[in-house]
Amino acid sequence: MWDLKEYRIAGSAGEAVAMMRRGPGKGVYIAGGTDLFLFPPTCDYVVDINHAGLSDIVGSPDGDLFIGAATTLHDLATNPLVNRFAGGLLSEAAAHCGNRPVRSTATIGGNLCNALPSADLAPALLALDAVCYIADEDSQESLPLEDFFTGPRKTVLDGRLLVGIALSAEAAKRRALARRLTRSAEDIALVQVAVALEVIDGRVGAVRIALGSVAPVPMRAMLAEAQIEGELLSDLTPDRLADAGLIAASECDPIDDHRASAEYRREMVGVLTRRVLASALAWNPSDDKEGGAA
Amino acid sequence: MKIDVRLNGRDTAWEAPAGATLLAVLRDGGPNPARMISVKRGCETGDCGACTVLLDGQPVNSCVVAAGRAHGHEVTTLEGLAADPLMISLQKALVDHAGVQCGYCSPGMLISLYHLLRECRAAGVRPDDHAIREALSGNLCRCTGYVKPVAAAAAVAAALEAVQAAAPGKGTVAS
Repeated sequence: MWDLKEYRIAGSAGEAVAMMRRGPGKGVYIAGGTDLFLFPPTCDYVVDINHAGLSDIVGSPDGDLFIGAATTLHDLATNPLVNRFAGGLLSEAAAHCGNRPVRSTATIGGNLCNALPSADLAPALLALDAVCYIADEDSQESLPLEDFFTGPRKTVLDGRLLVGIALSAEAAKRRALARRLTRSAEDIALVQVAVALEVIDGRVGAVRIALGSVAPVPMRAMLAEAQIEGELLSDLTPDRLADAGLIAASECDPIDDHRASAEYRREMVGVLTRRVLASALAWNPSDDKEGGAA
Repeated sequence: MKIDVRLNGRDTAWEAPAGATLLAVLRDGGPNPARMISVKRGCETGDCGACTVLLDGQPVNSCVVAAGRAHGHEVTTLEGLAADPLMISLQKALVDHAGVQCGYCSPGMLISLYHLLRECRAAGVRPDDHAIREALSGNLCRCTGYVKPVAAAAAVAAALEAVQAAAPGKGTVAS
């Protein structure tokens, strides 16, 4: 059993941070708890944020989304706003996590704060330029998700609370697709690739290529992105996409473990990046009519 | 810690260690365990689903949910559904289709299937085999190979649909 002295239940984000800072000893925030109970960290108390008003998904009139940190994976998978955002990229990532009962309690905040290199939601969120909202007792901060992870199981938080994630309406229009490679459907991913890009008048605009399970932290393959961004669709031959895949493979930094070798993971980053780019570029061309493509 | 919970429709107060799981308190842990022995202790890692219960109507693995998470919430175990007509038809169907062998996974499976069929009934839809298998994705069974439990659930779903067709307006989608 988890050797805890105290279970504190916070009624708001502010109270949660105050309860965390109060001590004595070391505390950990808890939401779903599905990861924490697998490897209970040594600490004196937990602060439960399930009653802190952080479980909502709110859409703005402009199409921005704010997702509370304690939103469950089941809600992400089934919420109509998230289903429609960028082709449902985030919903699909959530629907792949664990199994049905795990998704009832596991949360987006927990998936990110646990900070595994293989965090299932991270590549999709990176590809959509997710912004983290972080609260301390007397300050607030927002920062891009790319800057949130500092190492395996490490984040910038240091006792502060991840309040939620914001997605800008700009990203909602992107063509977004992801692939993940696993040994079995419910196992941790060996390689994850998520791509989100926009096509305007036959030319590629913003491109995001995000990778998971192949570096100490979920990451973007920015050199590969630069190969695609601004290019004419007609210039993006299969060879060019394969090159982008090879560049992404050179950018990642995978490890050998019992699931797969580093060499295999790196090879698969190249293959999946090429395939997902190809699918995203060819995806649903009728979407581009409003852009006036010839 | 003191945990106020509505367990199987009854307001209950638990005294539990701060680090206890919901499974421990429901089954055999702490100073005054609830002795809900339908809730099985299996993998204790959220993989096998033998400990599945409903938390506010949603299926959860009670082995990886903190007991404190249930404070102010509603927990339903198989014991609480013993007189529920839908649960009784599921149990009968599972027996009739030989969907029970060793039986260790059965309570968890029944909770997952009950949740699915109740949601489908409310939405006025009939779950197909894919939906049934998705609902059982968190329930590990090493005896049946899933074919018979899926057939049992499909039979109950078909019967529910027939009942709904005979009583229009009750649970069907209004047109």
